[in-house]
Amino acid sequence: MIDFSVYNATAPTIQGYKCQNCGSIHYPAPMICSKCSKRRDPVTGKGWETFDLEGPCELLTWTRAWNLPEGYSRKYLLFGIVQFENGLRASGQLEVENPESGMKLVAEVEESDERPGDPVSIFVFREK
Amino acid sequence: MAANVGIVGIGHTIFGNSSEYDLSDVLAYAATDALQDAGYLEKRKEIDQLVVGNMASGLFCHQSAVASSVISRMDMEPVPAELVENGPASGASAVKIGYMAVASGLADVVLVVAGEVMRKVTGWLATDYVATMLHTEAEYNMGLTLPAFGGMFTRMYMEKYGLTERDLALLAVKNHDNGAKNKYAHIQLPCTIEAIADGPEADVVNTYVAEPLRMYSTCPVSDGAAALLLVNMDSPRAQEFKKKPVRIAGVASATDTHCVHNRKDPLKLEAVRIAAEKAYKMAGLSPKDISFAELHDAFSILELAISEEVGFFERGKSFLAVRNGETEINGRLPINTSGGLKSKGHPVGGTGVSQVVELVRQLRGEAEEGRQVKEPKYGMSVNFGGFGNNIVSVICARD
Ligand SMILES: [Zn+2]
Repeated sequence: MIDFSVYNATAPTIQGYKCQNCGSIHYPAPMICSKCSKRRDPVTGKGWETFDLEGPCELLTWTRAWNLPEGYSRKYLLFGIVQFENGLRASGQLEVENPESGMKLVAEVEESDERPGDPVSIFVFREK
Repeated sequence: MAANVGIVGIGHTIFGNSSEYDLSDVLAYAATDALQDAGYLEKRKEIDQLVVGNMASGLFCHQSAVASSVISRMDMEPVPAELVENGPASGASAVKIGYMAVASGLADVVLVVAGEVMRKVTGWLATDYVATMLHTEAEYNMGLTLPAFGGMFTRMYMEKYGLTERDLALLAVKNHDNGAKNKYAHIQLPCTIEAIADGPEADVVNTYVAEPLRMYSTCPVSDGAAALLLVNMDSPRAQEFKKKPVRIAGVASATDTHCVHNRKDPLKLEAVRIAAEKAYKMAGLSPKDISFAELHDAFSILELAISEEVGFFERGKSFLAVRNGETEINGRLPINTSGGLKSKGHPVGGTGVSQVVELVRQLRGEAEEGRQVKEPKYGMSVNFGGFGNNIVSVICARD
């Protein structure tokens, strides 16, 4: 049985997940391993390893979005989808002068407090 | 075996700005239209079920329990009523659930109505509310929006297949031509390729929304509702209606990963392909049997990508067909005869039913002059939920 009352207190944000049963890696956190169907208990984390999903990655595609949602003060933001060396992919913000698909970047996890409410963890992709 | 479910009534509000009106009234208006069209207004309490499609009344209108509210406004108590939510595919999901109610034998006559009132809030808030359908931690928290995904998808497609911004503008010209003739469309104005792509002012008229997507490649934020009256064609009650039924030959849906980045090939819309294949199989048809289609062009790129996934064109080739005019009203395979989401508008939860209303109008031969497809036999719709992660396809037939 899972006690979800403590789920938010212990659930980490923006990490990679490794299933110890079959070794496959995932992002974001799955509740069931897509390869071997092993369950993940989000409270104890038993049977699963977590790891930092940061570092070198390749930009697959990007956009400069001009119409940002309520709460954002900037005129536009750049967004991208990247692929890490371990094969996992992620979406996040892009801080690059002249983005080009295929370029090598470095992913970092940071806190963003642009939206109302508690700050959240976000990916930022930059040039080395 | 598929059940024989027919559409005997259609209703539709003029899409645009209904922000001064209550969502329940907008839904009730379209639903009442459908009852009148079917000649069933006085018999409305004999309807077995109301199915309402809506994406986010709680956010946009601070309103819940919408289905019960619609019943009361239409003086339809004690008819059973429930709400169906599937993001921007809520409408087609409501059609699917309505179909299932008839096919199961639980109901013979089902009223389906779907809609959204989005313009009570600012455009920024609307963008935010729509973005809540994305993965909370891995997408929404990053500040990502649906247009941002539209832009990133467009760039991938351009870099792989050679699509140009001008090709996207051609889609806008085609869809605005159709929408200009559709009495229900949000934007009933044609636009020219000079104004939005070739002319000296094009960059100003047609600004970027999410590069390389421009304003004319992005649908407007609309209010509105659309409705259908469904009947079991094998029941004696099928004789009670004014109009000859248009048969639902196929209805199917499929899902894909919530996170776009988790798709093996992020350019493939697997759920579209699977939903379409299931709908074809149910209808006993193939892509070449389809006379015209309504495809969910929230972003123009999606009209292209969907038309390839459902088998109308080879992968990466659909924009060549657009260049040749093959998808215009008088082309080989007219697409978005209503004006599509681009011109007709996109009240998110209502679009799926609106698409089916267009299928019925075309199959009955009731579309306006200049945008009536010549003697169509089968029409197909694809309603897109999330960024491609929950797709519903409907095929209608004129028997
Ligand atoms: Zn596993």
